[in-house]
Amino acid sequence: MSKQVIALFPEASFGSALNCVGIAQKLQRQGAVPVFICHPGFSGVFAEYGFKEYQLPVNKGVQAQTEETWQAFVTAHLEHFNQDPTAQLSTYVAATWDAIVDTAIQVEADLEQLLKRIKPDCIVLDNVIMFPAIANTGVPWVRVVSCAETEIPDANVPPYLSGMAADDPARPGFEAAYLKVTAAAHLRYNKFRQGCRLAPLPAGKFLETSPHLNLILAPEAIRHRRETTLPRDRFVFLEGCVREEAQFDPPPLPVNEGPIVYLSFGSLGAIDTVLISRMIDVFAKVSARFFVNVGGFLESYQSVPDNVYLGSWFPQPSIVAQADLFIHHGGNNSYCEALYFGVPSLVMPYCWDGHDNGLRAQQTGTGVYMERGSWTAAQLYDTITSLMADHELNAHLGVISGKMAAADGANTAASLIRQLIDRV
Amino acid sequence: MSKPRSNTRQNHIKLARLITEIVLERGLSKGDHLPESTLSDACGVSRTPIRSALKILENHNFVQRRDEGGYFLQVSPERIATESLSDLDEMEDSLAVRILSDRAERRITDVQSVSALVRRYDAPRSAVLNALKILQGDGVVVQMTGRAWAFQPILDTHNALNDSLALRILLEPQAIIARNFTMDGQKAGAVRAQMEDFLRRPDGELGSAAFLHLDCAFHSFIAECSGNRFMRGTLLAHQRLRQSTQKDHSIPDFRLRQSLVEHLDILDSLERRQLQLAADQMVLHLRRSQIRKPQAVNRGILPMGRGGLA
Repeated sequence: MSKQVIALFPEASFGSALNCVGIAQKLQRQGAVPVFICHPGFSGVFAEYGFKEYQLPVNKGVQAQTEETWQAFVTAHLEHFNQDPTAQLSTYVAATWDAIVDTAIQVEADLEQLLKRIKPDCIVLDNVIMFPAIANTGVPWVRVVSCAETEIPDANVPPYLSGMAADDPARPGFEAAYLKVTAAAHLRYNKFRQGCRLAPLPAGKFLETSPHLNLILAPEAIRHRRETTLPRDRFVFLEGCVREEAQFDPPPLPVNEGPIVYLSFGSLGAIDTVLISRMIDVFAKVSARFFVNVGGFLESYQSVPDNVYLGSWFPQPSIVAQADLFIHHGGNNSYCEALYFGVPSLVMPYCWDGHDNGLRAQQTGTGVYMERGSWTAAQLYDTITSLMADHELNAHLGVISGKMAAADGANTAASLIRQLIDRV
Repeated sequence: MSKPRSNTRQNHIKLARLITEIVLERGLSKGDHLPESTLSDACGVSRTPIRSALKILENHNFVQRRDEGGYFLQVSPERIATESLSDLDEMEDSLAVRILSDRAERRITDVQSVSALVRRYDAPRSAVLNALKILQGDGVVVQMTGRAWAFQPILDTHNALNDSLALRILLEPQAIIARNFTMDGQKAGAVRAQMEDFLRRPDGELGSAAFLHLDCAFHSFIAECSGNRFMRGTLLAHQRLRQSTQKDHSIPDFRLRQSLVEHLDILDSLERRQLQLAADQMVLHLRRSQIRKPQAVNRGILPMGRGGLA
């Protein structure tokens, strides 16, 4: 019997890409053949983990503008990262959805051809938008929700990207504003879907749930009590999904004592070098070792304190496992990894579902939410030191960590995907 | 006038390194006697500095002083070839390495005065000057007019790493096919054994720092074998720069293993004297290592910092 071939198609973000790596590692161990469909610019990333890649061709004009596009993106959006989620709808979220729809339309023909070449037994889509070629392939497809649980709506679940509680009086206003700012992109997307023989989606929705299997990362400790229970045969909560990653040996620092604090705002968040520099000034006064992911912006820093180490990339699961505190942007993978390893989170969101996870960390007592733009040095110092000294919080997180580790979400995901292929 | 104490110490360390090279050349085994007189003749110095050098090796458990008289080799030649030499390098360069490491970690700026370094490291002026001279020898710092010293480019950023790989892709294959490439079989065996040991470690226990150490040792070994003295010098200096300043934690276990297997394949070809094949394999190996992660990505936006498609 030939081996099952599973095509994983993560969106162009590290969170979903590395989440899919975790699932692919387990699929491979279970005897299947996981392969990756790569967005332009990600080529080689999955090969470094030992997986075959199929590259989506890039529009040549767009490729040539990559650096400029990013510079323009930074210039345009950096100031928006300090806005509240409602204000960001018009300044950031609308533009991002526009770009996502553009991507879906651009890659459709090439994706269709790639899928014909790959002939997968199943497609795993970890994205926020449907690519019609996937739905039309004729093989079962799995939706992975590597964003916050808010991506799957419910009356008892806060609106996606809102950063507000489910019963917040401002909810109707946010939902109306969301539909308004996404309307143009949504209309364009629905026309595109219809052209590809797919039914249009309701307003504000860009991705349907899979009729076969939907995998949600959110662990029990932070899950919402839904008004409408999700059907268990199609919706599975994974209790996190953490990849196997290279060992990180913390390099000795000139001041090499104290607990370990890891800071990563994701590759996009690293753009805000002013914010991170302000934080580093505070870190210099804390008796701890700080490892800071500054992405591609190492050259923006000088006079780094002796208890701080800057890196452009860390094998996150390994360093989080050794950390006593994780300062992050509320990216769902980061938040889930903090929970998986029982590490307190200090969440400082700047966009997207980071807002939802920031509030959820506060609500569930798994971390502290802090606004990016309005803290004082004393507040940050106190928050960091009190989180590390909070034995009750650490005990609570230890229990969560034990449950998540026992559940082995990545392995569960791989088993369910393989069972789905056998079943359909 | 007597030389400063730190320089005497450096000379003893250099002598200790020379002794380890003699051990390798003469094919000595663990437990063999190391007569002072023989070493004195071989090194062309008196017995007094030989004793000091042996004492350094004893302090690091490479040799043992026995009651019956004299020093005896306490480790295998393979360990001498790898760990001992690199340990001695580190001893010799310790302050230089700290300075370079602090620069790579952006703790000190790219222009420094000796006084500032004396204050930061609480070290004698002579030791700082000695460290700067070591770094100057490798082309890492240059003395400016006045008393300032300026750091030259190091491997501290994404772009610097790309430039480093571009240089190595040009030079390393050429270093192999240059006339008179000569491989020391014993050293090759030791480097091979280290890599095979590393490959036997389970996933999750490989470690990027240990890998970088091995990687630099392998590429330095290739450089040492080259028949072209200028390529040899340039590449050895560059590997020392990599060892001191490259901090790459981004390589997954799969690629670490793949990279070491590529090293072993290159060694196989070299041992068969298939130099052109080894040079081609080196190009492939370095090109694979050139693939870097995107520097910044976000949903809906193309990644920053990635070149064209392969």
